Amino acid sequence: MPHLTLDKVTVHYAGQPAPAVESVSLDIGKSDFVVLVGRSGCGKTSLLNVAAGLVGPARGQATIDGRPITAPGPDRAVVFQNDALFPWLTARENVAFALRLRGVPADKRARRADELLRLVKLDSAGDKRIWELSGGMRQRVGLARALAAEPEFLLLDEPLGALDALTRERMQTTLLDLWAAAQVGVLMVTHGVEEALMLATRIVVLAPGPGHVVRTIETHFGRRYAAGEPIRAIKADPAFAAARADLTDAIFEGEAA
Amino acid sequence: MSISTYTERPAAKISEIDTLSVPWSRPRPKRAGVSARLVSALTILALLAAWTVSAELQLVSPVFLPSPAAVWAKLVVVARDGFVDATLFQHLTASLGRVFAALIVAIVVGVPVGLAIGISRIGRGVFDPLLEFLRPIPPLAYLPLIVIWFGIGEPSKILVIAIAMLAPVALSTAAGVRGVSRERIDAARSLGATRGQVVRHVVLPSTLPSILTGLRIALGAGWSTLVAAELVAATRGLGFMIQSAAQFLVTDVVVMGILVIATIAFALEFVIRRIERALVPWAGRE
Repeated sequence: MPHLTLDKVTVHYAGQPAPAVESVSLDIGKSDFVVLVGRSGCGKTSLLNVAAGLVGPARGQATIDGRPITAPGPDRAVVFQNDALFPWLTARENVAFALRLRGVPADKRARRADELLRLVKLDSAGDKRIWELSGGMRQRVGLARALAAEPEFLLLDEPLGALDALTRERMQTTLLDLWAAAQVGVLMVTHGVEEALMLATRIVVLAPGPGHVVRTIETHFGRRYAAGEPIRAIKADPAFAAARADLTDAIFEGEAA
Repeated sequence: MSISTYTERPAAKISEIDTLSVPWSRPRPKRAGVSARLVSALTILALLAAWTVSAELQLVSPVFLPSPAAVWAKLVVVARDGFVDATLFQHLTASLGRVFAALIVAIVVGVPVGLAIGISRIGRGVFDPLLEFLRPIPPLAYLPLIVIWFGIGEPSKILVIAIAMLAPVALSTAAGVRGVSRERIDAARSLGATRGQVVRHVVLPSTLPSILTGLRIALGAGWSTLVAAELVAATRGLGFMIQSAAQFLVTDVVVMGILVIATIAFALEFVIRRIERALVPWAGRE
């Protein structure tokens, strides 16, 4: 069973007086959906970048299956907030990008890309150019493109941050469906409290100055969606409201008023 | 925010609304549209009219300023019978050939140099000072040296134009590379792209709009170098035609040559803009 592990990771950017993150440990299994939440400056994205191999830790170590992470790799595909898609390619060609890098023949990668586009419910958008797609559709293409790399882990950096509320909610169900279908471990950074509760199996609350873990919360609302309960009904449950209040308190705990 | 601005407005009673001036609640009449294009057209017409009038009234001697009609007549004559042993079309194709050959040289050298400047520190260290050294030198200054090195043949003429085009192509390419979004590169790396694949599949296409802008600027620089390039031992070319005419004070041919160069440059600019729209339709829409 593959594991993505951060062991007492400290991130210190060159030229900064203080570290951005101090001694944070995380362990993500392949069936986990771990969500990092916290106020601005708590180092959520820094931690995600360490896991991605885009930022090297000053101290501590990031490993995948025991191997140290020293560079980005397709076993840990990243989806960014600003989709970072390639506008000179169609949606299908974007999705097939990782396969093209590996030299997969054109017809085969087009077929695989179409499968993935179906999985993210964009069946008919394959020939569209990126600028013809809405924000939500772009994020779906971004997710499909990451999945095409056949990663063991998906790293999502506020993938729903730039979307409107309705699109967000629809994307949440898509993410849950994908996570169940693709059998990948997920590490996601978000500002959304509801989103964290709805999607995560485990929520890690960080606080700034320098970034550290203040609480870890196991949640189960996503499992109820998987069991067939509609997402609105789950969110209307008083237990969900209580959990939301609790998580909000945890995030703002210790903040100077 | 929008709610607070509503309440800040002075409240008017319903009965007052008709009598009071309430500019914020009335749609402003659209200003009668005078487009910049119309102004440009009128300016050109006015200049043509002034030119015609001053020629008609002989305000200036025709040796200095031939009338538009004389210039047009000369265009027809040179197009049919030629001037200094070549027709206008032959002069034109000779010049166009040089400019395009130079453009190809500038692309082949300038795009890789620009990529090197944008991608690698060593590339920037090597090429940046060279370009900065080359860029401000006027073509007439290095022309003699090039003639000494490469002779008076066609290669020298192409080289003079190509040198003028090199800096715009390379510097635009480098600027384009520096403008590639970090996230795009990181996304490609996390999908498994090697350094070479990032350059080939992400940096190069991302830079394409800047490269095309560079080509547009380079063509302008190339045309303005044309006359210098055709100073030495040319027997054909628009620049050569203008110089020969100037020596014999055939001012109508000089004016005609200038207008032909301007027209061709304008047409090329238009063509490149069309190419840009076809090749990089995503530019400015991301």
